[in-house]
Amino acid sequence: MIRRKGGFVVQKLVNKASERKAAYIFIFPAVVLLAAFLIYPSLQTIRYAFTDYNIMRPDRIVFCGLNNFIELFRDKDFWIAVKNTLYFTVLVVPFQTVLALALALLISSRRKGVSIFRAAYFSPQVTSMVVVAILWTVMYNSSPDSGLLNALLVNLGLEPCGFLNDPDTAMNSIIFMSAWQGAGYQMMIFLAGLQGISPEQYEAASIDGAGKIASFFYVTLPGLKNVIQYVVMITVIQAMKLFTQPYVMTKGGPQNSTRTLVYYIYEQGFQKRNFGYACAVAAIFFVIVISLSLGMKKIIKAD
Amino acid sequence: MSKRVVAVLLAAVMVSGAFTGCGKTKERVNEEGESVITVWSPSDEPAIEEWWLRKIEEFNRLYEGEIELRREAIVRADSYAYEDKVNAAITSDDLPDILYVDGPNVSIYAANEVTIPLDDYFSKEEWDDFFDSSKQQNTYDGNIYAVGATESSVALYYNKDLLDEAGIDIPESKEDAWTWSEYYEAAKKLTKDGVVGTNIIMDKGEGLSYVLEQFWISNGTDFVNEEGSSAKGYLNSAEGIEAAKFLNSLIQDGYANIDPIQKEFHNGRAATMLGGSWEVATLEKDYPDLNWGVTYFPVADKDSILTSPTGDWAASVTKNVQDMDAVKEVMRFLFSEENVTTYAQAISKPPTRVSSYDVLTEYNEYPRSIFKEQLMETGHPRPRTPSYSVLTAEFAEAMLDIFTGVDPEEALNAAAEAVDKDYNKYYAND
Amino acid sequence: MTKRKTLGNIVFYFGNTLVALIFVSPLIWMIASSLKPEAQIFKGLNSLSTFMPKDASLNNYLEVFQRINMWKFIGNSLFYVLVIILLDLLVNSICGYALAKFEFKGKNLLLTLVISLMVFPAEAIMLPMYREMADLGWINSWASLIVPFVAKCFSIYMFRQFFMDIPDELLEAASIDGCGPVKTFFNVVMPISGTVYATIFILDFVAHWNDFMWPLLVVTGEEKRTIQLAIQTFFGSKPINYGPIMASLTISAIPMLVMFIFLQKYYVEGIASTGIKG
Repeated sequence: MIRRKGGFVVQKLVNKASERKAAYIFIFPAVVLLAAFLIYPSLQTIRYAFTDYNIMRPDRIVFCGLNNFIELFRDKDFWIAVKNTLYFTVLVVPFQTVLALALALLISSRRKGVSIFRAAYFSPQVTSMVVVAILWTVMYNSSPDSGLLNALLVNLGLEPCGFLNDPDTAMNSIIFMSAWQGAGYQMMIFLAGLQGISPEQYEAASIDGAGKIASFFYVTLPGLKNVIQYVVMITVIQAMKLFTQPYVMTKGGPQNSTRTLVYYIYEQGFQKRNFGYACAVAAIFFVIVISLSLGMKKIIKAD
Repeated sequence: MSKRVVAVLLAAVMVSGAFTGCGKTKERVNEEGESVITVWSPSDEPAIEEWWLRKIEEFNRLYEGEIELRREAIVRADSYAYEDKVNAAITSDDLPDILYVDGPNVSIYAANEVTIPLDDYFSKEEWDDFFDSSKQQNTYDGNIYAVGATESSVALYYNKDLLDEAGIDIPESKEDAWTWSEYYEAAKKLTKDGVVGTNIIMDKGEGLSYVLEQFWISNGTDFVNEEGSSAKGYLNSAEGIEAAKFLNSLIQDGYANIDPIQKEFHNGRAATMLGGSWEVATLEKDYPDLNWGVTYFPVADKDSILTSPTGDWAASVTKNVQDMDAVKEVMRFLFSEENVTTYAQAISKPPTRVSSYDVLTEYNEYPRSIFKEQLMETGHPRPRTPSYSVLTAEFAEAMLDIFTGVDPEEALNAAAEAVDKDYNKYYAND
Repeated sequence: MTKRKTLGNIVFYFGNTLVALIFVSPLIWMIASSLKPEAQIFKGLNSLSTFMPKDASLNNYLEVFQRINMWKFIGNSLFYVLVIILLDLLVNSICGYALAKFEFKGKNLLLTLVISLMVFPAEAIMLPMYREMADLGWINSWASLIVPFVAKCFSIYMFRQFFMDIPDELLEAASIDGCGPVKTFFNVVMPISGTVYATIFILDFVAHWNDFMWPLLVVTGEEKRTIQLAIQTFFGSKPINYGPIMASLTISAIPMLVMFIFLQKYYVEGIASTGIKG
């Protein structure tokens, strides 16, 4: 259809208005649901942070100002949890992301049987955390008579490792296990991203004389930019939220080495019924992680 | 175009709208004008689920026109999942009339006025029929807050073949129960060829408090004082530190695993084990080739105070109850002589009523007789304190820290301090 | 040429098989254990024999089906998870699309909000959420299992990232053809985004299928019990019988694997549908 220049401009303006209307309709359901079921409870949590709410006595909620926060800053367990969580995040994110990307590249081929490998790499996600925990606890067993990994180490002539029972190695053991379990999740996202890079770009690159490695850096990585941004962002957030592994496998020990912030929140709130205090920890947690993610967003935007 | 989108969105809203208003809070009177009494208890094995169905039907027939009994089964993964659920119900004031709770938690609910006393539900003679250990567990601040139908006990299981081979003798009566030194020596002798002398870690959660508190008691102290208000001077007393050091020596010297694989003893990888009364059934059924025996829980060297763990789930009445007469009838029914006996039989656990043992004669024979004897004569329930959830979590953490190298006195001091802090924060001003 | 290709093939298959075996081992152990008699499950854990089921039988499976109403619980889980996901895909994709392609007031605020909200861990807000469900009268209803989870920041953000990669020319072509923004989305954008939808489908399916804490809180009794809750009942008995646990976990893994395999075709189709057709 041929349009005169003037007519075309009018067309665009009309589109802008209906675009805005459409935008509001498009975001409406999500915004309403988020407000009702995410923002509202979160605000409640923050509100409780200023009270001495003990779960057993919902009728005796007393406003206590900044008491919880003051206690928090003096609480060495809290700071240890912060340290553990940051340590975990800083190590697991690059490890798991690189692993996931490697897996995705390993199987982004048209060869036969690729889907079987895809399922295999995704299978840790499908295997219940219960089984994963039992098995890895068994694998990590500190006695060479009962633990697969230690039996292997001893066979190779090395010292057995305490793994989950040694405060120096417990967190690292969890990091390794988490990366193994989580890689499948990100791998799927990378795969979807790789699909989005058109083969013509690779053809163009090889015509220009680029080998496999060069085309990885000049075609694949740039093509995945948005995806990588997303994956790193959500992996950081999910890493900061680590809860299940400490909950199922170590209960925060040994010697506080695997106590993460969210586990600490759960422990204080549900087990020790210090709900007000737990909400205060949660509030500080929000602040830390939000600053982290928004900070990351700025850095990536500047890219 | 936009019409279609609006239509889809409306449909989605309507679909979700159709789901609203389906939940109801506890109904207390039904259409026939009967009082409704609701029970929450854990989902359990088929034998117990059937027991409930039968008994509820029986009760509703007996009390037709007056009371309707209902039960909602709650998933109990480990105890914590059940507690989480109860916590949530407390916040929305939506508790059932009768709530089953794990033994040591009775005091927590009692102190927080979530449950009410039930001293007058049974006459004095009727109460006398119940085990002291069970009543003790369910008593807080002078009143009884719960009734249980079953108990549990822990004793020392041993591998007959391995003990015979090492030339170790077994105590014949509870007065001969092994002292800690004897226990240690035996474990030492038995640790060889890939087999470890003993297993003291039932699990890394509640199992630690459940089993190991007895070492404190046998040495003349306990976890907390009698009112349940303070752990300082008890958990971390000199006797307590001694107990912790003893347990730690078994681990550090390699006679017990810090990380026992499930079924270590059953598979012959541990020569002895501090195991629960429920292991008898498993061993009989799944491990017929194992030549095993049971003997009394070990006692401290010094005064050799006889003691053993006890404790099991019990039913309490919550503050949300409205028809006090109806709920009393239900409780008297559920915990009558006959029903305690049939329940204990269905779940294969020792009953709490003395009279039940006239019916369940299997407890007169070895090995079950050991558990019965311990229950009746040496059993001590866990501490009755509203800070129990803090106490047990701190204790477990302290023991695991000690096992991985922390100084026992330091670890126990920290634990005791945390318990006292919790008590003083919430309960000291009542 | 062919030699290099064969070498490439060998490396590909060998390398992948080795790595895949490591990844799949827990799943295999779970299946093997589900076929073993109880006493065998924790025997010989320090050797590879633990992956072989000796005395294999289906007894554990029989016990599971006898002890609990497995079909009902699978049905419950399937129902609520699928409803969540279908609504999720709809609601979150249109929101992500608006954030990717439309200009409107409050866009940056919404984006920042979405990213910030991803941070909130369920464990911290679970109790206030529960109170909200109680206030709405939704306890023990499908609504409490479904509605709070339809809108998801992770999904919105992911859709946005992917839609941003769709060339603007494609959308302008559609608008020149007379499509309004809504029609453009449903008729042009959605059909070429199969991979993204499939990815979110499977990731959310797995997340919700394995969910335990929330259903525990809002569901009572057996009517709406989910499969994860049902499996946890096996952990409640003393002593714990691992045979039926392994069997029920294996059964629970099947729908996820089925979904996964079923969605594979969207990954193959993906390549063909991007790019501007002449």
